[in-house]
Amino acid sequence: MQPMSETILPLNGLKIVAHVSGVGAAYAARMLSTLGASCILLEGPEGSPLRGEPPFLPGGKISALFAYLAAGMRSQIIDLSDNDGRAALGALLSTSDIFIDDTPVVDRAALGLDDAAIAARHPALVHVSVLPFGAVGPKADWKAEDIQVQHASGEGYLLPNGLSVEMFPDRPPVKIHGHFGAMQGGIAAALGALSALWARPECGGQYVDISCQDAMLSVGAFAIQRLGDGSVEHRVERSFRYGGVIPCADGYVELLTLEQRQWDGLVKLLGEPDWAVDPALADALERSRRGPMINQHIRAWAAIRKVEDIVREGQKLSVPLAKYYTPTEVVNDPHEKVRGLFQAVAVDGAGVFNVLVSPFHFDDSPLHLRAGPPALGEMSRAEEVA
Amino acid sequence: MKPLSGIRIADFTVHNAGPFCTNLLSQLGAEVMKIESAMRPDAFRKPHPVYGRMGPATFDQVSSTKLSVRVNLKKPEGIALAKRIVGISDVAAESFRPGVIGRLGLGYEALRAVKADIIMLSVSSCGQEGPDSHFAGYAPLFGAWGGLSDLTGYPDGPPVEMRHVMDHTVGMNAAVAVMAALMQRCATGKGAHVDVAAREVASSLAGEALLLAAAGGVPRRMGNAQEGRVPHGVYPAAGEDRWIAIAARSDAERATLARVIGGELSDAAIADWTRTRDANAAAAALQAAGIAAHASWTTPEIAADPHLRERHAIVIVQEPDGKAREAVGVPMRLSKGPEIGIHCGTPKLGEHEDYIYGELLGMNAAERRALEEAEVIY
Repeated sequence: MQPMSETILPLNGLKIVAHVSGVGAAYAARMLSTLGASCILLEGPEGSPLRGEPPFLPGGKISALFAYLAAGMRSQIIDLSDNDGRAALGALLSTSDIFIDDTPVVDRAALGLDDAAIAARHPALVHVSVLPFGAVGPKADWKAEDIQVQHASGEGYLLPNGLSVEMFPDRPPVKIHGHFGAMQGGIAAALGALSALWARPECGGQYVDISCQDAMLSVGAFAIQRLGDGSVEHRVERSFRYGGVIPCADGYVELLTLEQRQWDGLVKLLGEPDWAVDPALADALERSRRGPMINQHIRAWAAIRKVEDIVREGQKLSVPLAKYYTPTEVVNDPHEKVRGLFQAVAVDGAGVFNVLVSPFHFDDSPLHLRAGPPALGEMSRAEEVA
Repeated sequence: MKPLSGIRIADFTVHNAGPFCTNLLSQLGAEVMKIESAMRPDAFRKPHPVYGRMGPATFDQVSSTKLSVRVNLKKPEGIALAKRIVGISDVAAESFRPGVIGRLGLGYEALRAVKADIIMLSVSSCGQEGPDSHFAGYAPLFGAWGGLSDLTGYPDGPPVEMRHVMDHTVGMNAAVAVMAALMQRCATGKGAHVDVAAREVASSLAGEALLLAAAGGVPRRMGNAQEGRVPHGVYPAAGEDRWIAIAARSDAERATLARVIGGELSDAAIADWTRTRDANAAAAALQAAGIAAHASWTTPEIAADPHLRERHAIVIVQEPDGKAREAVGVPMRLSKGPEIGIHCGTPKLGEHEDYIYGELLGMNAAERRALEEAEVIY
């Protein structure tokens, strides 16, 4: 599958300036950049803090996190602690559409980054703030790593469930890998930025205040919905009544049958054993009540079978089954090769590697990265040469 | 102003991911027409036994702020009616398995014939093309395929399945893609078919680990550890099943944390300090000292939080019987759009047909009655 033409991407023509040190704001810029906007990453003379964030690529010096987040961006060095730097930022913003910033609120005024000052100087600019708890509210100045974002928004308390909580019921809750919470803030920021841009012809620029906690809560909205129904979710009770993570002879599969025809397919996959063809189990509510018994049978059946065989035969019968892929398997997955999920780009100082591009296709084509991550200040140096 | 007022969406989406996308857009001002029928009502209008919900939901977050219109897509006349709705829309959104919408006669080319600049959103497990595109799936499967779940869990335990957060982040991603397509239409006059693959969204949320794997590294699940942060974990607090998350990222923060707990900085020492303290009070004390900390909040704590309420992340909605309940607002604050958010709860099936069929499509009472008798509006 061919990527979209290098000259045609949905957001071509948009200009973004990103002054970011955290994952959430950087991810917003990355999403918009990959959709076609040109993005300048502002870095202090010492470079973005994200350049020093693990994990590091083999060799130990180049941040895989930075390389992923900054792929396709340009880098310009600006020192906002002096007047020249602030003037340079003003000049950049005067020709830009979106400014993304995650400077703590308390530090903004001294750097000329407070929302009122920016709105006064750049009335057509969409100014996007991304902070762990947002820029407004009693906790606006609270600090957070991703683990706090996940626990402040509820999902942290609710994981793990299923097999993991069965095995380790007394352990502390466990977080979702990596920077899931911050990235939700980044996605919300990209949505807020584009929504504000859409309205700009009518109302001019505006200030978009994003909280990673809000965004993480938003994607976990069903816990609040169930609370309104009178049910307080807990990681133990939230487990699927049957299905879930199923250990097999050589790995794990995920199984989830929500519809009757999917259950019927599962019964066929299992070889229609006596327990499964019990007429009482034709009723979905009764299956829910007998979930532990059903899972006991499914696990015994799966324990002596291989993952690939179960998934292949199950999906033929329209049973929702998936292999738990390792990262290496994802990178080498034939399906993703066909779809162009990854693109080989140069990562200075480390090599040429496949970097995930985007989960979006437009008109049957994947997006593409303009380049790998930028060298520190490469844009400034290019201008000097010019 | 609501930024997306004036955008109209024909919403064929089902389950969670697609409906959450259109719900976000509706909270931002888009007019979203939820297309369903008595024959195939929304999942929340039915019991959900696998989740343990034995009856219909009384409030459906992802249907809130939408309009409801009945169209029976099993009948050719229903397809024709659906096309009329698409004809007055900017966006048509669907989340059937790939190929289904085309077999119904509502594929992208068919919709372009109705509205040349339509933007069609297709949300699916594995994308519209590729060897696995026919695979059925839900949120836990997206995380499994995408690698995110393999990276999540205790180091000595199994992978952890993703739940609704996975569905909904797919929806929020899809909303970004729809807005990008709208911006493109604004610039070029052309519509687009937007294909969002849920498993790829899961992968995108672990992009740094996938890059590491591509470079020959072997990323593994690490429980609550995070490289570069020591300490970093979830510690017991006073009370049953109470926890607090604490992290430090620099020597200065570690020194501060050691001073606050009054001892050496080990996980055991931190746990000794936290286990006798109220989680919220301990978090406040640590934050005051400049340490990232937060109680592991239960849902009732979140629903009652003044910070989230001030930000309208938690809002109060009313059910048809007048009962008030908490819901989740759209996750942003706009300086020129304070009115964004949920403005009505779950619509009744077909509640807005006078507006959609009567006002927007100009159908008279006799025409509508005939379609109802023919079970096209059903």
